[in-house]
Amino acid sequence: MGTLVVENVVAGYGSGPNILKGLSLTVESGKAYCIIGPNGAGKSTLIKVIAGLLKPREGKIFFKGEDITPLRADQVLQRGLCYVPSDRSLFPDMTVKENLRMGGFVMRDTRKVDERIDELFAQFPILKEKSSQMAKTLSGGQQQLAAIARAMVLKPEMIMLDEPSLGLSPKVVQQIFGTITTLRDQGLTILLVEQNARKGLQIADMGVVLDLGTNSFEAPACDVLNDPRIQELYLGKRHQAVAAEECK
Amino acid sequence: MAEELIQVDLKGKEGAIRVRSKVSLWLKRGIPLLILAILALLPVFQIVEGTLNYWIHMLMYVFLYVIMSSSWNIIGGFAGYVSLGHNVFFALGAYFAGMLFLATRISPFISAPVAGLLAMGFGLLFGLIALRTRGSTFIISTIALVLLMAELFDNWKLTGGTNGLALPLIDLPGQFAKIPYYYYLLVVMVLCVVASYFIKHSKFGLALRAISQDETKAEVAGIPTRKYKILAFGLSGLFIGVAGAVWGSYLTYLRPSIFLTVSLGTSIVLNTILGGKGTIAGPVVGTAIMIAVNEFVVAKLGATELNIVVTGLILIFVLLFFPEGIVGSLKARNKLPSFLDWD
Amino acid sequence: MIQVIQILILGIALGGVYALMSSGMTLIFGVMRIVNLAHSAFIVLAAYLAFFVFKTFNIDPIVSMAFTMPVMFLVGVIYYRLLFASRADNPRFADITVLVTFATALVIEGILAFIFTGIYRSTTPTYAKTSINFGPFFIPQSQLYALIISIVLIVGLWMFMRYTRIGNAIRATMQNRNAAQVVGVNVTWISTLSFGIGLAMAGAAGSLLSFVFTFYPAKHIAWIGMIMCLVVLGGMGSLVGALVSSFLLATAAAYVNFYFGAAWSPITFYLSLFLILLFRPQGLFGKKVEG
Ligand SMILES: Nc1ncnc2c1ncn2[C@@H]1O[C@H](COP(=O)(O)OP(=O)(O)O)[C@@H](O)[C@H]1O
Ligand SMILES: [Mg+2]
Repeated sequence: MGTLVVENVVAGYGSGPNILKGLSLTVESGKAYCIIGPNGAGKSTLIKVIAGLLKPREGKIFFKGEDITPLRADQVLQRGLCYVPSDRSLFPDMTVKENLRMGGFVMRDTRKVDERIDELFAQFPILKEKSSQMAKTLSGGQQQLAAIARAMVLKPEMIMLDEPSLGLSPKVVQQIFGTITTLRDQGLTILLVEQNARKGLQIADMGVVLDLGTNSFEAPACDVLNDPRIQELYLGKRHQAVAAEECK
Repeated sequence: MAEELIQVDLKGKEGAIRVRSKVSLWLKRGIPLLILAILALLPVFQIVEGTLNYWIHMLMYVFLYVIMSSSWNIIGGFAGYVSLGHNVFFALGAYFAGMLFLATRISPFISAPVAGLLAMGFGLLFGLIALRTRGSTFIISTIALVLLMAELFDNWKLTGGTNGLALPLIDLPGQFAKIPYYYYLLVVMVLCVVASYFIKHSKFGLALRAISQDETKAEVAGIPTRKYKILAFGLSGLFIGVAGAVWGSYLTYLRPSIFLTVSLGTSIVLNTILGGKGTIAGPVVGTAIMIAVNEFVVAKLGATELNIVVTGLILIFVLLFFPEGIVGSLKARNKLPSFLDWD
Repeated sequence: MIQVIQILILGIALGGVYALMSSGMTLIFGVMRIVNLAHSAFIVLAAYLAFFVFKTFNIDPIVSMAFTMPVMFLVGVIYYRLLFASRADNPRFADITVLVTFATALVIEGILAFIFTGIYRSTTPTYAKTSINFGPFFIPQSQLYALIISIVLIVGLWMFMRYTRIGNAIRATMQNRNAAQVVGVNVTWISTLSFGIGLAMAGAAGSLLSFVFTFYPAKHIAWIGMIMCLVVLGGMGSLVGALVSSFLLATAAAYVNFYFGAAWSPITFYLSLFLILLFRPQGLFGKKVEG
């Protein structure tokens, strides 16, 4: 019994075609999942459906046994399921602290939100340093960190990250992945979408390949990393030896 | 045996398709040409019978608005830049030709093409400034242009201020007086619609349509978007300027309250959108329908206040439910009669 | 010198009302990216409401704000729900809304003309005819009241946006609609509310304008021209921008009026619009160029 269960979800935008075509996925509690797949496969769409931002046309989604399909985005957040979108989506003309406060928008107790923010500042000292700066003045990596911290304000049990490495330099990507690893080690369930499939799979327990709106492949991350088809499609041949080596 | 049957069947079908396509091609070209021929012959009946003055006048209205809508379509329909200020070209054409006539007695019939070029030049200049913006800001700048022009012409001694300028009546017996204007506008209208067809299907027109789809992508693809937009804006003023010169002389008086109202600029847009923006036949269809509706409302209800209520409600309805307009919506559903498919 | 200061006083007094007129429009644009060309028509509608209750029940136009503001709030909520809420995701939304709101303005104008005819109207409370003198200077009592109330309302709106939970949600939605959704803000609800608040400001403006200016159904055209210029100059969506540009242009127009004649004062507005488009298309306080 997984903590998040996606059952035969069909979804699309407006009156457009189905983007997700009967997708099912089970996420076990406390594990990190990495979804890979070509551009436009529907990875972001899947996350939006789970987060309650897009209603599926068919299918159901369960979180901790509860059917969350009909819930609004704020209700899903209150259940402990948070989301960091791919463009980081901060509020550019609010300070870092105000951004984090907005992260606690669905909590009415502002004192608790401020306490939580102090905890996060302890965990991410760079954000504390920049706390009264406008979000738009942060570097890409700092923005990503702020977006993750903003999702963490609610003390979620599960966090979904959509391409956290997008547009960041390799060094910064390394730091962000370090942060994600820490979150995983703290026991958070993680659903990560990553273009950088090799990096994503390295820190994940399970790998899911999404293609043409269905999950064509789901296996332990190492197996995905070592699967010749995956290597050919997403990792590039030259990584084969490296990948096999890195994975125990 | 079965194969033979199929082959026969195929032959029969092909033949039917060929016959049908011949008939439809005939209808497609024939009906518009027939209408055009009737329009061209109408004044003859007026000369003989002398009873068609009302119809001639209404048709001239249609020609005028078709010229304006078809021209607007070049920037508003093809390139997707909605301008609510295209009547400024109309006013410029009218005032230029009118003032020239008062000063030099050069007939507006002769100066009209120059008025068109002047309007186009003004369009290029204004485009240079306003087309630095897009979307809502651009629309606002076009409304501001109309309001600014109205203020200027209201207060400018040379243009007669709010009283405007009076031009002499054409020197023809009353029942013939409309006819030269009628033909002039008819010819300009045909030229304008034909020109819009060729623009749409040229490389330039293709680029404009790319801009309306996704300007950033068009730019990345190497289209000089800024230059093309400005050119399209200028071109869209050309025929309107010509029409303005002719119409001013026909009206015999030029006033800002006639030429420079925001509602005139809006009705150009309404007619085009109702018919189908971006299509060639749309401006013609939309204009004909809107003028008929207006006549009907004024005749039935009598009140001009309710006239603008009806105009507004139709506009809201079309924008929200049929943003592709009549021609566009029918075409999308494959139900457009072939004689209206001019693209 | 006295003259120069006197004009400044009158300019500033008008600036307050202009700021109130443009605040609602800039709020609506900021949250929903809707250029509400019907904004001034709604103001005129509210002015007629104030006029109506003044004539029929002899209710003071300032008091009538307690009526026009909630009524216009409701009108805004219904209008937004009916026409726009379901279309907020349409990529052609901005262009469509500009035309739809302008068409709405025509409908309002036509209905008002049908009911009240085209006669120039205004409400005439006792303070509409007196001026307050201080030293060599004066200010019409009506304009002083309008200025004070406008400033109170705008400061109130500003504090609401900055210090309340809902106000923060509105600001968040303005800055990044997507992100607001992600943190659990119901943006449809926030948009509806903002449209209501925007029109409530229009309602207040209508009540105040009813004794500061004369009005008639087609008056909205001149006012929308002015408000558009203020909103673009300030930067579309910026409340502070609208406030600054209102005082700036009102004062500039007052001087132009004095030195060049009344006809040129509206031209001040339009010319400054084109100047700002030429040199800083995003306006004084605007963020980049919007799509
Ligand atoms: N807001 C939207 N409206 C309409 N179509 C969308 C929208 N967002 C994404 N799509 C379409 O859905 C498909 C899947 O997109 P997405 O889920 O973002 O893919 P991925 O994240 O895997 O790259 C794409 O074809 C994209 O064009
Ligand atoms: Mg994506």
